[in-house]
Amino acid sequence: MNVPIVENAAGNAAGNTAGHAAGNAAGSTAGHAARNGAAARNPAAGARTVLELAGVHKSFGETEIIRGVDLALIEGERHAIIGPNGAGKSTLFHLISGQLQPTRGTITLDGRPIQGLEPRVINRMGLARSFQITNIFPGHSVFENLRFGILRRYGLQYNFWRRVARVRRITEETEQLLEELRLLKSRDVLAGELSYSEQRSLEIGMALASDPRVVLLDEPMAGMSREETDYTVGLIRQLTARRTLMIVEHDMDVVFSLSDRVSVLVYGQIIATGTPDEIRANRQVQEAYLGTEVSV
Amino acid sequence: MKSIHATTLLALLALLALLLFVPPYLPTTLVNAGIQMLIAALFATAFNVLAGQGGMLSFGHSAYFAIGTFATIHAMNAVEAIAGFPTPLLPLAGFVGGGLLGVAAGWFSTQRSGVYFAMVTLALAELLHALAPHLSGIFGGEGGVSAMRMPAWGLTFGSSIEVYYLTLFWAALGIALLYYFTRTPLGRLCEGLRENTHRLGFLGYDVHRLRLMVFTISAAFSGLAGALLAMSNEAANYVLFDMNLSAQVVLNAYIGGIGAFFGPALGAAVMTFFGYAVSDLTRTWLLYQGVIFVLVMMFMPAGLFSIGRWWRTHRDRHSPGRLGAVFAGWACGCLLAAAGLVFLVEMLAVVLAQDYQSLLVAGQPWPAVALFGLNLRPGQFLVWLAPLLLIALGVAWVLWVGRRWAALREEYAS
Repeated sequence: MNVPIVENAAGNAAGNTAGHAAGNAAGSTAGHAARNGAAARNPAAGARTVLELAGVHKSFGETEIIRGVDLALIEGERHAIIGPNGAGKSTLFHLISGQLQPTRGTITLDGRPIQGLEPRVINRMGLARSFQITNIFPGHSVFENLRFGILRRYGLQYNFWRRVARVRRITEETEQLLEELRLLKSRDVLAGELSYSEQRSLEIGMALASDPRVVLLDEPMAGMSREETDYTVGLIRQLTARRTLMIVEHDMDVVFSLSDRVSVLVYGQIIATGTPDEIRANRQVQEAYLGTEVSV
Repeated sequence: MKSIHATTLLALLALLALLLFVPPYLPTTLVNAGIQMLIAALFATAFNVLAGQGGMLSFGHSAYFAIGTFATIHAMNAVEAIAGFPTPLLPLAGFVGGGLLGVAAGWFSTQRSGVYFAMVTLALAELLHALAPHLSGIFGGEGGVSAMRMPAWGLTFGSSIEVYYLTLFWAALGIALLYYFTRTPLGRLCEGLRENTHRLGFLGYDVHRLRLMVFTISAAFSGLAGALLAMSNEAANYVLFDMNLSAQVVLNAYIGGIGAFFGPALGAAVMTFFGYAVSDLTRTWLLYQGVIFVLVMMFMPAGLFSIGRWWRTHRDRHSPGRLGAVFAGWACGCLLAAAGLVFLVEMLAVVLAQDYQSLLVAGQPWPAVALFGLNLRPGQFLVWLAPLLLIALGVAWVLWVGRRWAALREEYAS
């Protein structure tokens, strides 16, 4: 299980190997074990790259936010992006999902370039995302919100002669997703009236409703209680079982228990990629970002 | 959207029964007013698919209505020679005409949203408005175009009542289909367009295409409403393209309430009847219409339909008698103030009119004015004070009822 730490071009070779070695002994929590199981499921060797970023830059005027990101997501892995505030994590998601266009560089999904395509096209190619700031249909019921996500897959979006309630498979699938999200009791509540953490669950549900192969979750657990976070981690693990997941998260417990690999983004560059243990042990990462937050 | 309430269904059935069985006993002028009300109701409902449900406020909807009218007139002329052509099906020409123009105009306007969308619809409608007088082959120039309703299916369509039933059939069918539309996948997504087009894009939807389809459906049903006007008037003139009609449908929909499916139809029916009843009595009726619009927007922003909603929210906690009393109190206050306002405005209208001004002789008191069966002397203080007092009394009454109602609710809450 040796996924190498990928150093980016900015050249931070020093101190790396030492960090490397220290890692694996530390901390084997329950979550850790689960993660290791997940990693075993997706051996890096011979695995296929699903999403690949090569030399991606993004500037807003004079300011360069993303300064050359190279990153490859392996099919089936759960990949976390961590980094301090303002590192460009959300911008990276915007670039991949089509909200923003990169200034330079290429992004490929299954080998096909997607940079600069519209979000809907990227979604149809099998990549869906959630938003850091809840982005739902507040005036519609929770059920309706999820159904919006599911409808298109049935190719019914332009249908105006059939009652949508009559399409049983859609109703069933929506209700199943509601149940998995623990939102069934709020089925007919307006999404805008849900509690904050319920809205966060709905946000995740909507990203998964279009049944993507690659899912991008932008701080899905932000603002959740401990119990809600634990449940949601399990939920994400379950709902992304046969998908590739890319997740931005600040909660290090979540990051280290959920992900197979972690990339560290600092000032628009990825300074390290590796297994949670490798990242934990990486001195450069500790210096740049983790600091005292994580006890190794 | 929840399924339709049993009470709503009953109310609709009662309304339909009323519309079906009462008109034969009404005088012809009222039947004609009924035809206009039905047409306006269908038009406002079609407009609201776009404005209320889709969140796209169109300022140029008269274009699709008018195209529907002209398409139907031309269709009537085209089939005149064909004996036994089913006349009642002619409005479909307006439906198709409105829809075709909707596809073309909608393709441009739905590229944008919000104010930009509104401006494009306005510009396209003005374009047609400016072009129509020059295309006299199609729109008939100053004289307009006319046609004849030919007998079919044993009906002559010679009397107002037969035209009324034809209108009722199409208007009811149109509104029912538009209601059905809200339950279809596209209809549901239409409401999603209003709420969050951004997220729809990330769910894989082609927002422009969805918008265009909604626009086309709205335009087609507006064309159907226009077609019914053609069937009723047997004539059309390019004046139909005027901004007035576009503005009227916006006012009607908002007065009725764009948040409720049947709100715009209610607003359109009420305001059309208001126009029918008042426009013959006074030339200042447009002013009253404007005042009504401003007041509804200020104090009842969800429109007339929100009265029903208000009743439903409070009926659990307050008896119907009390709610009725509060409502009647407000209505009385409004009526008092309205009486004062009408008196004042009509008085001013007479006094400021040129023919009255020309009667004035310097040094002489102003001659008496006959108004509301009274002989009023504009020089008298009381003539001006009385309406002002009425307005003040009405406003005070409304405020007092409002305070009492707030106190009652507080009492319940504690």
